[in-house]
Amino acid sequence: MANIFPRWSNWLPLKIVFCLLVLGGGVSAGVWYYLNPEYMRVGYQPAQPVPFSHKIHAGQLNMDCRYCHSFVETSAYSNIPTTQVCMNCHSQIQRENPKLEPVRESWKTGKPIEWVQIHKTPEHVYFHHSVHVNRGVSCVSCHGKVNEMDVVYHAESHSMAWCLSCHNNPSEFLRPVSEVTNLDWKPEAGKSQHEIGAALVEQWHVNPPVKNCAGCHR
Amino acid sequence: MSKRIFQHPAESQTGKRYWRSLGQLQDTPEFRTWMHREFPQGASELEGNEVSRRGFLQFMGASVALAGLSLSACRRPLKNLVPFTKAVEWSVPGKALFFTSVMPSRNGGLPLVVTTFDGRPTKIEGNPLHPVNQGTTDVWAQSSILDLYDPQRSKGVLAHGKASDYKAFDVELDSLLKAAGDGAGLAFLADGSHSPTRERLRQEILRKFPKAKWASYEANGHELEVAAAALAFGEGSEVVQRLDRADILVTVDRDILGVEGDIAAIRGFAARRKVDGPKTKMNRLYVVENRYTLTGGMSDHRLRLAASRSGAFLKALAKEVAKLSGDQALASLAANLKVADTKFKDKWVEECAADLVANKGKALVLAGRKQPVAVQALAFALNASLGGLGKTLEVRKSTVAPAASIAALAEELRKGATKALFILGGNPVFNAPSDVHWAEAQAKASVVVHLSIEQNETSAKSHWHLPAAHYLEQWEDSLASDGSYVVGQPVIMPLYSGINANELLAKVAGIAADALELVRETFIKVTGAQGDASASWAKTLKSGFAEGSKAKAINASLRTEALAKAMVESAPLRLADNDFELVFITDSKVDDGRYANNGWLQELPDPITKLTWDNAALMSPAAGKKLGVDTGDVVRISVGEKSVDIAALILPGHADDSISVAVGYGRTEVGSIGRSVGVDVFPLMTSSESRFRTGVSVSKTGKRHALAVTQEHGALEGRGADLTRQATAAEWTENAANPNFFKKMGIDAHAPENFSLYTHPPLNDVHAWGMAVDLNSCIGCAACMTACQAENNIPIVGKEQVINGREMHWMRTDRYFASEGGDEDEPEMVSQPMMCQQCENAPCETVCPVNATVHSEDGLNVMAYNRCIGTRYCANNCPFKVRRFNFFDYNQRSITNLYRWNLISEKGTPDTIQMQKNPNVTVRMRGVMEKCTFCVQRIQEAKIAAKVVAKDSGEQPRVPADTFTSACAQVCPTDAIVFGDLRNPQSRLAKLKEDQRGYRLLEYLNTENRVWYLARIRNPNPKMPDASRAGSASKGGHGHGHDGGHGNASSETGGHA
Repeated sequence: MANIFPRWSNWLPLKIVFCLLVLGGGVSAGVWYYLNPEYMRVGYQPAQPVPFSHKIHAGQLNMDCRYCHSFVETSAYSNIPTTQVCMNCHSQIQRENPKLEPVRESWKTGKPIEWVQIHKTPEHVYFHHSVHVNRGVSCVSCHGKVNEMDVVYHAESHSMAWCLSCHNNPSEFLRPVSEVTNLDWKPEAGKSQHEIGAALVEQWHVNPPVKNCAGCHR
Repeated sequence: MSKRIFQHPAESQTGKRYWRSLGQLQDTPEFRTWMHREFPQGASELEGNEVSRRGFLQFMGASVALAGLSLSACRRPLKNLVPFTKAVEWSVPGKALFFTSVMPSRNGGLPLVVTTFDGRPTKIEGNPLHPVNQGTTDVWAQSSILDLYDPQRSKGVLAHGKASDYKAFDVELDSLLKAAGDGAGLAFLADGSHSPTRERLRQEILRKFPKAKWASYEANGHELEVAAAALAFGEGSEVVQRLDRADILVTVDRDILGVEGDIAAIRGFAARRKVDGPKTKMNRLYVVENRYTLTGGMSDHRLRLAASRSGAFLKALAKEVAKLSGDQALASLAANLKVADTKFKDKWVEECAADLVANKGKALVLAGRKQPVAVQALAFALNASLGGLGKTLEVRKSTVAPAASIAALAEELRKGATKALFILGGNPVFNAPSDVHWAEAQAKASVVVHLSIEQNETSAKSHWHLPAAHYLEQWEDSLASDGSYVVGQPVIMPLYSGINANELLAKVAGIAADALELVRETFIKVTGAQGDASASWAKTLKSGFAEGSKAKAINASLRTEALAKAMVESAPLRLADNDFELVFITDSKVDDGRYANNGWLQELPDPITKLTWDNAALMSPAAGKKLGVDTGDVVRISVGEKSVDIAALILPGHADDSISVAVGYGRTEVGSIGRSVGVDVFPLMTSSESRFRTGVSVSKTGKRHALAVTQEHGALEGRGADLTRQATAAEWTENAANPNFFKKMGIDAHAPENFSLYTHPPLNDVHAWGMAVDLNSCIGCAACMTACQAENNIPIVGKEQVINGREMHWMRTDRYFASEGGDEDEPEMVSQPMMCQQCENAPCETVCPVNATVHSEDGLNVMAYNRCIGTRYCANNCPFKVRRFNFFDYNQRSITNLYRWNLISEKGTPDTIQMQKNPNVTVRMRGVMEKCTFCVQRIQEAKIAAKVVAKDSGEQPRVPADTFTSACAQVCPTDAIVFGDLRNPQSRLAKLKEDQRGYRLLEYLNTENRVWYLARIRNPNPKMPDASRAGSASKGGHGHGHDGGHGNASSETGGHA
């Protein structure tokens, strides 16, 4: 009696298993890499309705972040400035600049400027700006060197693991509260970030929620 | 060491038993099913009318296919950030703003502070500065925020049922007023209001149209009390009950702590139930009532008595008091009250009277607000005789001007001379007494204008319907129940172009002023402010009320002659012998029908019956036996030619010859929530018999109606006596030196000392959150449940889901009956708020396979919704049954569409409902578990605030004691719930926790709860015949009798080893 299955079929199950493993591994690796906030979010740089340059305002002119984001120290949200804030200066300066046309238009009509959101926390996460900036976490830690960005982009991943990397080791990131909005701050000569941070953790009783889910998820 | 008891011993069948329902008492199979399962049978299974397995697979296939399609179009969604063009004063994105306001009600305005986020009100709290409520509110105020956002509210002007506008209405109004002349053809029917602006406009209108008619109507109002006060103390006087000054209280058919009182009365009562130790003198409450009410639940002595016999009881009591104190005038008054002498438990009346006489000047007798005028007047006379006038019963000048009755107005309308009838709020077509035949009378008017927040039965029969502004949408004012002037500030622009009654009246009066100008003018008149008054106006807006505007008590004396005359002329009260009376009760939820479309209220279990989404004919077990009906059997109640069919609900403690039905249900012209919910019994009510009707015949129809009663949900096996502990004042005095008296009751008296096999990480935060619930002042009103619902974005699930046990309330108020040997007729009642106990050794945490519920350092048992995969193990392992599961997408699907979901079915919440949601609390989705979080969003906010304050100062960030509280504690009208920080010795909680009455639930399970309950103390009069029954500590409930001696647990551990 002839063999029902040809010879090559002996290896078939192993081949199938191998293929499935490769396929499964590939899909996993793909998901791991591509669906990760590191890939999905970092670098997101949408065009804004007004070509506003942080590089000019925060870098060149050295304006404080809090001139425009005025409630960052009191509220959970760091507010986007009103048209009025733009017009505080631009009713005098660059009055004819065509790039500012949308701002003048908004001021005239009362219709707000619709900025495109870049940093978005998921809906089950309650991030609070004021508690961070009042306790020595600099803007730069989460938003990158905005003072060097012509067009703002998503600089950090903002994943939960990324959050926890600081919550677990606050000493690596903390700085004096007065330097929070100084994006170019460097630890003073002779001292490392860790030394400064560890001293502040000790001195301020810094105890960020680490195992307390309710710190961020309510 | 003795052997551990891992099984809760069976409950003893002798001695005092605590039970939630007759099903539990009789141990029916249905009850056992409820008890054994965390969720009831079928709650977790698909049913016939739900999606079939085949259908489910089809949908699954379709969704996979669609997912494939949509993935190809997978883009990062573009989100915009839209700042203001010009900054708005005070507005900080993400921060709440608080405004003072007032909720109008027939008992006087309730001063409020409204929380708004980015211009939308989300939560209502009481005004902490106002002496009436001191920051607390009630069920109705809490749920009124949902009325504001009701997507089925009236949205525009209707002319003859067709969409119209204000312009057309103004034209019609102009022609009406031009033809009005002296106003003989004008008539107004207003709802109960304490608005001085409305009163001022009324006077303006009457000046302009001197012959205009003005009547007012409230279906659950208190016109009879006003009439009785006028009779007893002179026209234009009203009475204020000072419960805070009364040592001895007798209420006769008066639910003063429930639907027939206000927060001032409740707070006054509770103030006398706050005890530091056995030496604190508590008040004593005698209650005579036909059915269990919240007042009855708080009573020390309770006599169940048909409402129609209340007059006879008061007569007997007055006679006895007169005899004891030798008051001839009172004796003759009582003798003249035309009511047949009835036999009562003589000893009961005698001892009650003796107690009253012994406490002259500190006693208060209250008669039902809807009892006949002569009966109420006799109660006033009784108080006068007991020296209570000016002390426990204050008389003051009435804050509301008198108005004609609806019956008088109907008579006038029938004459046919009325050209224009203005109905301001209310729904008289639905809830006027049947003998008024209002709909018919209203049809006689040439033009009927109806102003209402919803299109109701009356709008359907009116020529013009105007949408009314919600009280949070427009400037209003009101007098609080203490007579102080409160300004109602709008917190949002009218959502649907509504106007309020003042604006309409101003139009009629020909005053060109907007709502704000109208109120400001009244404010200047009321306060006598000079000039433009902007400083005092700003101050008033900030504090919410005009300081020093409280009404003053007047010196009143009893008008004995007028009273004597009234007694003689009083209509003889018909007494029911071997017959039933029908009692119309004010519903604790929908009131007179006005809140029928409010889902929070419909789904709130009634504090006594635990009934949701329905009304029912309440009757005693004996009456049920006599009629051969059980809960759910439909009975026909007939009086005269009229009858209604309504489901019976057997309620222990009900008078046997009485049947009670809540009015306000059975609305027909209403939004989808309230349509066809319950049965309308207004057709049986007449204007002379608005409280009770006698000569009622009741028969069984043989039909059944499913009632959604939650009283057996979350039942814990035979643990009633363990969970709710109480003792009498005498027992407490006896055991004053025993710190374990309350801690070692029930099974805790037998269990050996706890030890733990597990360790948990240290809970070493600087804070330790906890809660204390004082059962001695908790009246069980369920305001906490509604506050929790509003604060924590808790959805409603609908009647069918409630029947399946899927209600989502994070906290419940467990109502227990307790009686010796399971007596069903005259049990005691205890209410107990139950929420997550935040166990330090939480059983739910150990069984979660995905660590979705874990512990925080400050002692909270927290839920991470995003981790939850819905195994429901945690709920099964919870000894308190406080976890809730989202069986459906209650936040995304309407309650009528839960089963009919598929990929293309309607999904999402109406915009306005979304606006109500608290932005700081996650809106949960299908398939996740949830439970009380101790309002973690408020905790985090407080902690963050403390950290921001500490900044870089080097101080340890710590939340100062009692600077914030949970939603349930904040709303509690009796301050029975106290939330706080156990580690802060300054906090109220730290002190309460050390109270001798403090105990934790199921201590022997070693769960280390963070919620302490303070045992209830009853204060019975030892001379009363029923004194031995009232509130004594549970003794010997577990097989072997210790007589009160539960003190030394360690020496008594052998019992079940």
